[in-house]
Amino acid sequence: MIKNYLKIAWRNLVKNKAHTFINVVGLSLGMAVVMLISLWIYDEELSYDKYFHNYERIVQVMQHQTINHNTITQVDIPIPLGAKLRQDYSQNFKYLVLSTYTDQHVISHGDKKLNQLGNFMQAQAPDLLTLKMIKGSRSGLTDPSSIMLSASLAKAIFGNADPMNQLMKIDNTLNVKVTGVYEDMPQNTSFSDMAYIAPWDLFMSSDPYLKRAATRWGNNSWQLFAQLNPGFDVNKVSADIKYIKQRALLAQGDKVGNEFKPVIFLNPMSKWHLYSAYSNGVNVGGKIEFVWMFGIIGLFVLILACINFMNLSTARSEKRAKEVGVRKTLGSDRKQLIGQFYTESLLMSSLAFVISLMLVQLALPWFNQVAEKQLVILWSTPVFWIIAIVFSLLTGIMAGSYPALYLSSFKPVKVLKGAFNAGPYATLPRKVLVVLQFTVSITLIIGTVIIFRQVEFTKNRPVGYGREGLIQAQLRTEVIHKHFDAIKYDLLKSGAITNIAESNSPLTGVWQRESGLSWRNKPPGLQDDFGIIPVSFDFGKTVNWKIIDGRDFSKEFLTDSSGIILNESAARFMNFTHPVGETVKKDGRDYKIIGVVKDLVMSSPYERVTPTIFFIIDYPGNIVSIRINPNMSTHDAIAKINAIFQQYDPDSPFDYKFTDSEYAQKFDDDERTGKLAGFFTVLAIFISCLGLFGMASFMAEQRTKEIGIRKVLGASVFSLWQLMSKEFIVLVSISILIAIPTAYYFMHGWIRHYYYRATLSWWIFAITAIGGLLITLITVSYQGIKSALTNPVKSLRSE
Amino acid sequence: MLSLQHISKFYQVGGTRNFVINDISLEVEAGEFISIMGPSGSGKSTLLNIIGMLDEPSSGYHYFAGETVHQLKDKQRSALYKKYIGFVFQAYHLIDELTVYENIETPLIYQDFKSTERKAMVADMLDRFQIVGKKDLFPAQLSGGQQQLVGIARALIAGPKLLLADEPTGNLNSKQGEEIMQLFKKLNKEDGVTIIQVTHSEKNAEYGSRIINLLDGRIESSKQL
Repeated sequence: MIKNYLKIAWRNLVKNKAHTFINVVGLSLGMAVVMLISLWIYDEELSYDKYFHNYERIVQVMQHQTINHNTITQVDIPIPLGAKLRQDYSQNFKYLVLSTYTDQHVISHGDKKLNQLGNFMQAQAPDLLTLKMIKGSRSGLTDPSSIMLSASLAKAIFGNADPMNQLMKIDNTLNVKVTGVYEDMPQNTSFSDMAYIAPWDLFMSSDPYLKRAATRWGNNSWQLFAQLNPGFDVNKVSADIKYIKQRALLAQGDKVGNEFKPVIFLNPMSKWHLYSAYSNGVNVGGKIEFVWMFGIIGLFVLILACINFMNLSTARSEKRAKEVGVRKTLGSDRKQLIGQFYTESLLMSSLAFVISLMLVQLALPWFNQVAEKQLVILWSTPVFWIIAIVFSLLTGIMAGSYPALYLSSFKPVKVLKGAFNAGPYATLPRKVLVVLQFTVSITLIIGTVIIFRQVEFTKNRPVGYGREGLIQAQLRTEVIHKHFDAIKYDLLKSGAITNIAESNSPLTGVWQRESGLSWRNKPPGLQDDFGIIPVSFDFGKTVNWKIIDGRDFSKEFLTDSSGIILNESAARFMNFTHPVGETVKKDGRDYKIIGVVKDLVMSSPYERVTPTIFFIIDYPGNIVSIRINPNMSTHDAIAKINAIFQQYDPDSPFDYKFTDSEYAQKFDDDERTGKLAGFFTVLAIFISCLGLFGMASFMAEQRTKEIGIRKVLGASVFSLWQLMSKEFIVLVSISILIAIPTAYYFMHGWIRHYYYRATLSWWIFAITAIGGLLITLITVSYQGIKSALTNPVKSLRSE
Repeated sequence: MLSLQHISKFYQVGGTRNFVINDISLEVEAGEFISIMGPSGSGKSTLLNIIGMLDEPSSGYHYFAGETVHQLKDKQRSALYKKYIGFVFQAYHLIDELTVYENIETPLIYQDFKSTERKAMVADMLDRFQIVGKKDLFPAQLSGGQQQLVGIARALIAGPKLLLADEPTGNLNSKQGEEIMQLFKKLNKEDGVTIIQVTHSEKNAEYGSRIINLLDGRIESSKQL
């Protein structure tokens, strides 16, 4: 029986090549999309951070702080919190590990110098992270002048030589000895960037300023990771330690700190990656939204392909009807017919599955590049195969159910009488499915267009400074600062630059924020939070900011060392009608406002600009910004700049970045989302059009006789084409009417999260609607015109 | 073998009933060869379909091989039908995707014959109809007469007691038609298969043992030959 089913199913597939092609291509594309998305979700959700053996028990200590009724949630915590938790809650935690942020440092051994990302962490870090040691042991960080390297960094510096006990330098100042080499942490872990770990105590001894910070509960600039002991619940411990910082601040007599009502809590590792977004102290998801979004899109694309199968199968029902009738008169049960039709759809879905594996293999390199992932097909994982095969069976059943149940229900007397007419309502389900397909496709188109438009719109946001021809380099030693004037002189003389300035934050970030400033008529109780950017005198001229009131810093005014420049947002926040000449008090010192500049977009371009105050820098800056001479080629200019920097600071690599590409990076996430959404949208439309094309060709076949008669009666090709296209245009128009409000609803919700956002203009919807109709027309016209041009004698003779 | 009593088939059109079969009673004995004749629309095919249990009458009593058909459930009726009845169509109705061999084999599959049995039975049938050489061809590769031969072979393969034929020669030329009729006669005489055929042709009708003339859904005349 099965053999017979398979045989006739196979012959049907081979006989109706166009139909088979449409179905198999559609289904395999749908399956490939689902497979890609599943691999992605597996990587993001199911396997992320699972590399760490203690995944279930690892937590990060975080805090909520409330500023002007707005609660912000941060990973940044003060140093004394570590010791306090260790002292008061020692039975709760197996490990407590203070850590710096993952930051760039110059790692050198002899002549080898590399700028690498890494952390300073307390000695238990390797145990917490269950590092897989290739050389040395996990206790390597107990020696305060040690360093542990990832295998790839060890390889990059030492090649095949043994790195153990080799001497190295961090930022040319800290002397360390290699005490361990660990296997690189996989890309789908929270610590994949970390190429080395150096001891926390070494870091603390590197700068006298840190000695003070170690006792300050108000300085939130570090991270704290921990592992709970078995039997201790995250929520329970979180509740216990909730007010630990408030109590400590009170004991220290720090009233300002307590105004922010800091609340300490533990964030389990399972929430780090996908649930990192907080709004007013409440977790509001995060990347999990993308997981859901792409999961749903993938499912939709597959459903579109299944709809093709259903529609084409039932459209062909008139041809199959006779076979059903004959089989029934030969004694077939309905059950047996259902079995036969299921066999056909399962055969189709198995075929599609094999092709989809090939498609995924082909698409993975591209997909990985767009998604910034390293996904592979899990060829050797049995679970993958089980899920994949069950899934293709389900797909086959989903696609085959409607045709199987519908076709097997035919009454033999009716279908064998010759003219089988399925009745006026038989095409209704088919029409509903086409409408569903195009509703999904058009919603996806609108969504994608809006994502891209939002990115483009924000890219064109005026940033308040000149981005082009600007480079920025991070300074890790004081050498450059000490020789700043000499370096500037040399650079100008070489003709490579037109200006250079120091600052403590790059143009693409605000690295320092402070509160507790005061000014005339500051309303009591108003909490302030300013970006603080100390800069050298030439900063404004280097970045080309725009003074809108007052003047720029100038060395000609001796008082400018206590002068400040506000950005527009700060001036607005302080509510001065004439800010220039007013005084702002910070840390007990008075500063005079000498100018106001147009807002500089330094943090997220989607967000409101932070109220920011620019001071004159009186210590070595973190960053130099350099304006390249436009009359010299960038390549030559950078070579010259590099040479001059090396001359003054031979121990540090001159590591520069183009400000405009740094700025462009801020759009990476959204552009990636847009690209992926665009990719899935194109597939969805393609699959829908395949289905439409199939439907149109069957319709044309069905109406051959009618068209023949109409032609004999004098119908023009145009009117026939109209006749053939009208129905589809009506269906797609209905889809558009449903899709527009649906897309508006979802995209309105999406775009609301952005402060700086494009409007959802009517033309986006109009263009999509017109585009959808055009695609429909093109798809169905081929068949329409082809049958309209057929000689009626031919089509009528066959009757 | 079968008995129809006061069988009617009608369609409700507005307030009036449109009778296709109007109070027909008919007794068929095993071994008969009946030809049903009548003008288009007289209800010939409907009557045949009712006899073949493909269609249900609106009223009346239907007995077949000792069973009360009008009281049977669909499943039982279908089992009864599978066991006793073979159908031959004017348009042959072979399955285009199956070869001659497979077409003939299909009813056996539905009656759960084993593969080896099926092979023997189909081979026997092919031999009997002298179409062994055509067993791997598809219907489209055969002439009309050959297709109808396959259709009859298929109808007979499971050994039915009753063969129903709806204008079996309607699409054939006279020579092919004659051959089919000879075959029917032989089946009736030598194998004892009861045959009921619908036909337009006086000549073909005369191969039977009884001719029934229908007009407007009633039996107009019945003639024993």
